[in-house]
Amino acid sequence: MYKYFNNIFVAISSILKGMSITWRHMINIRKGNVTLQYPEERWPRPERDIGFDLDSYNVIRSRLQVDIDDCIGCLKCERVCPVQCIKIVTTKAETKGEDLPDIGHTGITSNGTKKALIVSRFDIDMSECCYCNLCVYPCPEECIYMTGGPNSHKHPIDYEFSQYDRNDLIYKFAKDVDDEKISKYVSKKIK
Amino acid sequence: MTVDNLINWFPFGAEWPVLTFVTAVIICALPVFLFIAVYALVAIYAELKVSSFMQDKVGPMGQGVGLHAWKFGILQPVADALKLILKEDIIPDLADKKLFVMAPFIVFVGAFISFAALPFGQNIIIADMNIGIFYILAVGSLSVIGIILAGWSSNNKWSLYGGMRSAAQIISYEIPAGLSIISIVMLTGTLSMQGIIEFQSGTIWGVLPNWIIFNNPFSFIAFFIFFISGVAECNRTPFDIPEAESELVAGAFTEYSGMRYAFFFLSEYAEMFVISAIAVTAFLGGWNSPISGFMNSSGWGVFWFMLKSLSLIFLMIWFRWTLPRLRVDQLMSICWKVFLPFSLVNIFGVGIWSLLVG
Repeated sequence: MYKYFNNIFVAISSILKGMSITWRHMINIRKGNVTLQYPEERWPRPERDIGFDLDSYNVIRSRLQVDIDDCIGCLKCERVCPVQCIKIVTTKAETKGEDLPDIGHTGITSNGTKKALIVSRFDIDMSECCYCNLCVYPCPEECIYMTGGPNSHKHPIDYEFSQYDRNDLIYKFAKDVDDEKISKYVSKKIK
Repeated sequence: MTVDNLINWFPFGAEWPVLTFVTAVIICALPVFLFIAVYALVAIYAELKVSSFMQDKVGPMGQGVGLHAWKFGILQPVADALKLILKEDIIPDLADKKLFVMAPFIVFVGAFISFAALPFGQNIIIADMNIGIFYILAVGSLSVIGIILAGWSSNNKWSLYGGMRSAAQIISYEIPAGLSIISIVMLTGTLSMQGIIEFQSGTIWGVLPNWIIFNNPFSFIAFFIFFISGVAECNRTPFDIPEAESELVAGAFTEYSGMRYAFFFLSEYAEMFVISAIAVTAFLGGWNSPISGFMNSSGWGVFWFMLKSLSLIFLMIWFRWTLPRLRVDQLMSICWKVFLPFSLVNIFGVGIWSLLVG
């Protein structure tokens, strides 16, 4: 008889104890929440130390980045890409090496080359990119590169680039100017 | 809004009595169905959120583009419902097709027709029968037939086990639930839902609301016996052996998909509401305000009734995400060895109490 009532008492008290624990967790959800809303919030990236500096990496396969002000529109990266994920459209400028602030065009690259072409479209579809790094080597101006690693000083590393829409994975590097404005500066011969 | 009022109000009642009756019933049933659908969405959302809060998660948040579950995942239950509706309706080859098709609707009807006697407010009750609580108890156990049919007609070992377990469980737990209701009926001297609620108006010693749960120590215990038995009748988690995921896949519902499964889901939530509403009516004062004379008009009655019922539903959700599932033998021994003797003692105690005090 004692065991019977003791059992009931233990059951009730342990149920109350358990329910108070879940109640406490529910009330303190703002403090105790362990979920990270991934694309909006991320864990900090841990420091990486495998015995040598980031600069001495040869290749890091992250996202492709283009410094469009340095691009001369030579199409070498587009031709070498094995999966054709780079699309470039250029038009010949009227005068070589002239700044056109109207359409955000700089005449001279950081290497000192005078640009003859206006790059009106430079798209890289990162959903197709195979991270082979082949487009980086032929670039005469070193303006296309993988972010992070040896290029950390140019662009911080970006390896997730998670998006809600697949179209957002097409990175558009060219200055966003409409064709009419560009056509003012296009060489007379082409016109 | 009683059915009788509607029938009396119709001008052509004398000429076409059957047509009048059917129209009145349909006019009453449509809002109830809409209410169940909307309430089920709210309850599912609450279940998702409460469960994840209790486990230190955030639950559905829906931070996508467009109308992706909107803010804080409010549209998540709508998306779930749409998914269930759009899914293919699969009927197994070897199933007993007629019974298989019928079963979910029988389960739903069992929960649905109980709403006819629920007193939502002073005047808002579909049919104020003089045997209201008896009617609900009688009709509420109809759903067990549907579950057994579902288990049997699926022609699946898990479904059959689930159906059998559910039959054993629901029928066992009807007894303590019914006995604790009997102690209430002894106290109030009426079986009518409105009569039971009117008994509970006023206060005890001017402080406590005169609810039956506070009336005497025996009815205090009877409330917990009734409520826990009610949770068991809904097949909710501490007592969900009929659909135990880890043992029986989904028990009687294993072979169901799409719309039919949605009906089982809907009837589970509807049954939760019915159990909570009976507990509120019989023990917690129904549509009476907790503070006597404070917001006690008939309009606020609906508010108090819904508030009390929804808090009891929250309690059920709280149970579910705290307590682990019982074993079959534990389940039966709780019912027969603890609840049954206690509720019998309760009846005796209430009898003595009303003889000496009341």
